[in-house]
Amino acid sequence: MLVKRILLAAAMALVVPAALHAQTQTIDGISNMRRAALSPIYAGNEVKGYVMFTRGDKADRKNDNYLLDLYDQDLTKVSSITIQKPAGYTLLKNTFNGSAFAFYFANGKDQTLEIETYDTSLKKLGSKVIGDLSGGDKRMLAAQAMSADPAGNGMMGMNLIPVPGLGFVRNGYTGAMAKGYTLAIYDDKLNMHWRITSDEKSKQYESLSITEAADKYLLGMMMRRDGLMSHKFNFSMVALDAKTGKKLLDMPVETSPTEQLSLSSFTFDPSTREFVAVGEYYKLDDKPMVNKSQGFFVKRFSEAGKVVSAKNYGWHNEVAALMPAEAKASQEDNYVNFNHAVVKGADGRMYIVAEQFKIVGDGLGIAMKALGGGTSVSKGKIANLLVFELDPQAKLSNVKFFPKTVTNAEIPPGAGLMGSSLLGMIMKAQGDFDYQFLQKDDANTQFNVVYLNFDKEKGEAAKGYIGGIGFGNSGKYTTDKIELNAGPTYSYLYPAKPGYVMVTDYYKKKKQLGMKLLKMNI
Amino acid sequence: MRLLFLLAVLASVLATPALAQQAPYLPFYSADTVRVHEMAVAHRAAVQKYLVTPKSVSGEYRDHYKRIAQEAADDVYNTVRYSALVDPVLNPYVQRVFGQIRQANPQLAAVQLVLSRNPEPNAHAVGNSIVMLNIGLLSRLENESQLAYVLCHELAHIQCAHMERGLHAQLTRIHSKELRKEFKRIVADEYNISSKLKELALGLSLNSNFHHRQYEKQADSLGYALLKRTSFDTRQAYRALQLLDKIDQPLSAEPLALGQYFGCANFPYPLPEAPAKPKSIFTVAAPTKTVLETTDTLKSHPDCAKRMRYLSELAQGQIADGPTAPTPEFARIVALSRLEAVQSWFDYDCYDHALYEALQLLHDEPQNAYLRSVVTLSLYELREHLLKHDFYEVVGNVSKHHPDNFNQLLTTLTAWKADDYKGLVACFAQNAPVAPAADEYAQAAAYAAAKLAAEPRATALQQQYQAQYRDGRFAKLLFPKPAASGKKSIR
Repeated sequence: MLVKRILLAAAMALVVPAALHAQTQTIDGISNMRRAALSPIYAGNEVKGYVMFTRGDKADRKNDNYLLDLYDQDLTKVSSITIQKPAGYTLLKNTFNGSAFAFYFANGKDQTLEIETYDTSLKKLGSKVIGDLSGGDKRMLAAQAMSADPAGNGMMGMNLIPVPGLGFVRNGYTGAMAKGYTLAIYDDKLNMHWRITSDEKSKQYESLSITEAADKYLLGMMMRRDGLMSHKFNFSMVALDAKTGKKLLDMPVETSPTEQLSLSSFTFDPSTREFVAVGEYYKLDDKPMVNKSQGFFVKRFSEAGKVVSAKNYGWHNEVAALMPAEAKASQEDNYVNFNHAVVKGADGRMYIVAEQFKIVGDGLGIAMKALGGGTSVSKGKIANLLVFELDPQAKLSNVKFFPKTVTNAEIPPGAGLMGSSLLGMIMKAQGDFDYQFLQKDDANTQFNVVYLNFDKEKGEAAKGYIGGIGFGNSGKYTTDKIELNAGPTYSYLYPAKPGYVMVTDYYKKKKQLGMKLLKMNI
Repeated sequence: MRLLFLLAVLASVLATPALAQQAPYLPFYSADTVRVHEMAVAHRAAVQKYLVTPKSVSGEYRDHYKRIAQEAADDVYNTVRYSALVDPVLNPYVQRVFGQIRQANPQLAAVQLVLSRNPEPNAHAVGNSIVMLNIGLLSRLENESQLAYVLCHELAHIQCAHMERGLHAQLTRIHSKELRKEFKRIVADEYNISSKLKELALGLSLNSNFHHRQYEKQADSLGYALLKRTSFDTRQAYRALQLLDKIDQPLSAEPLALGQYFGCANFPYPLPEAPAKPKSIFTVAAPTKTVLETTDTLKSHPDCAKRMRYLSELAQGQIADGPTAPTPEFARIVALSRLEAVQSWFDYDCYDHALYEALQLLHDEPQNAYLRSVVTLSLYELREHLLKHDFYEVVGNVSKHHPDNFNQLLTTLTAWKADDYKGLVACFAQNAPVAPAADEYAQAAAYAAAKLAAEPRATALQQQYQAQYRDGRFAKLLFPKPAASGKKSIR
């Protein structure tokens, strides 16, 4: 060949030159692929890359080689980090705080946790082993390992939250039964700066879930109950000073004489310098998260914790009045809503994304039970998506209904007796809902909801599609559907840069993993 | 009367070439693939005949050799079958130059030249009988002598049996006792097998690249000797290498005036501000080169600067160091090659490249109806792929290896939405109206524009195209038969 570049030698018609820089990756020699092996890296709201965690060959008598392969948002391989760790390591979470990457591992063999941090050039900054795990920590880790998305930010579980400019916050549980909580913040080099623990003398069970670092605050939701098995929950909104760990706000979501409230989301709005709480309200005699809710509420508080505004929207009143005609049948069919996400746009409008579900008797399950089988007599049904839009004054201004094919989900034996809200949370943890994630741009002007419509009960044999719903500052709602092709043994769906989703196709026979960025028309 | 008739015939004969010269060139297309199939079969047979499995080697070596020989033969078949350009203008031209070289060098074996529609600027030799010249390289040369040197260089590879020697050298190394022993040792060693095997493979690759660089030097040297025996200007050999050194540079480095092409009063350009280039959060630096690493250690070819120095020594300083104005005949060859290259990008579904190259050429030829058709058709196909959600297959990523203005186009293509395309195509037609043409390209583009605008006449235009060009270049692309689709679940 004459030229300096390594170019296409033959069969040009079969090879596309542009693929040299295409938004795809193909990796050979992958003997198995789990969803959790790959996770997106966020910088602020946006996906800026991916990390793939794989186990390689043996490094020495005690250790295996593990690879952290890093890709940018366009799937261009950036670099690889090889680490030597004992067998049984899992990556719980990867996170980026603007100046450092942190990889949070669980060492199953030694029952320890470990954090490693790297700067943006992937030079190692620090490493920390956390060995003093409580019984509660271990329980949570075990539950997390069985979750559909161990790296997901559920209410429970071991998490590592990025705090821009400060480092990373790690949560933990105290006692053998996770009676209390701990929080610790580490800088980029993993020096601990503060640690707080719940009051050991407290009679109540307390779990604090930090949801985000916003402005100068660490925001979270505190769930308190009298005992481990208690179904009576009390919710508080918690704000900590990110620099010191000092609790600045720990305020119960007030229950009025006519209803009681549960909390779905607690955020800080820097434009108005107000805290915003969104959740559902229940009849006074009902049990939040057990009985069916009456509607949802939006409460705004000043930084001092004073209520600025509070509004309730009943499913059968305000919401029903704005509900499109096509949605009414499902509302009347006893479906209840599960709130997946609450976001606020740069223009002040707020969006609540919910999905309908209900529990029904399972004929086959009942028959199996009668024959002595251990299956559930109930099953979950997942129906349509809804977006509730509130104007900047928090007035419900629009309800959008997005019909989907109803799909079925298996629920654990006995779960049918739990009550709809708690069951919704279980189904969420099991990955039963179609809703997958919500993507937003850094400017908070465009939001995309991505869902996956396929029958979880039928599993891999089911036919499905990826659905997308776009909304934001333009005021328009757009939708898109991506049909999935046959071929791969497994496919997994991941968040991607704004306007895209990332799909991986794993081919077991070829031991090949394909990654591709799909642009959504929303 | 008879005299008048003869005069009339003579006048028409004389007038025909003049008319042909004035008629706009359209890329070559023939639905009849018999000729290229026969060529492909013959070339495959020639490679099979050439790469005879050696006898006095191990069984593994033989099997490996057979596999490579079969792959090489299949590759040649595919390349010729799907990319050979057997047009009536460019192919005869390059064959004439090739014939002159062979005539001046009668000692050369019977080698055939295949002009390929591959738009990448490259050429290569296969076995002992084929030189492949890409249209993408022809379009970047300045004169016939540079073309002659390129062909001489490839003939030199054949004369030196570089393909076979390279293959034997590599297989001898791979199947050597030392390497097998090393391989067994690594596999038996329980730990870090993967990284040790990678190191071994890297060593093999570096060794192979070293030999390839030696072959290139030989081909430069012998190629120059072959050129000297011809009547071509030997000083242009140096200039050819100089052009190759800058081959990655675009025709024009100026930013593309996308807003001017694709925005108008009815449909304001959808991106009034240029979309920001995607920024990476990673700041990983390129690996630092060791003292031992030269600039071309990891390349299969020596750096052009090295080759130019070497050639300058060979030519004893008799070199053309700088651009030369092409003759009108060669300028036309270059111009037509560029159009063929644009069409090739399009045919290979590289609509980003097709659009980019067409826009670059439109800058100097804004009324070129063919280029305008390619722009419209590229936009149509880009939108189709957006709707089919396989946009990633036809549009590449921004890369530091691309020219800035190509990255500008890629960033823009990524930002345009499916709904924008109707306005983009409408404005493009409105901003520089051209006289309607009746050729296949214009008709296909007219259909694409009408379909994008959801105009009822799209159906009539489709019927018109299909009636006139039943097996036309765009028939399958624009009007595919619906395929049965299978689906799979995702988790």
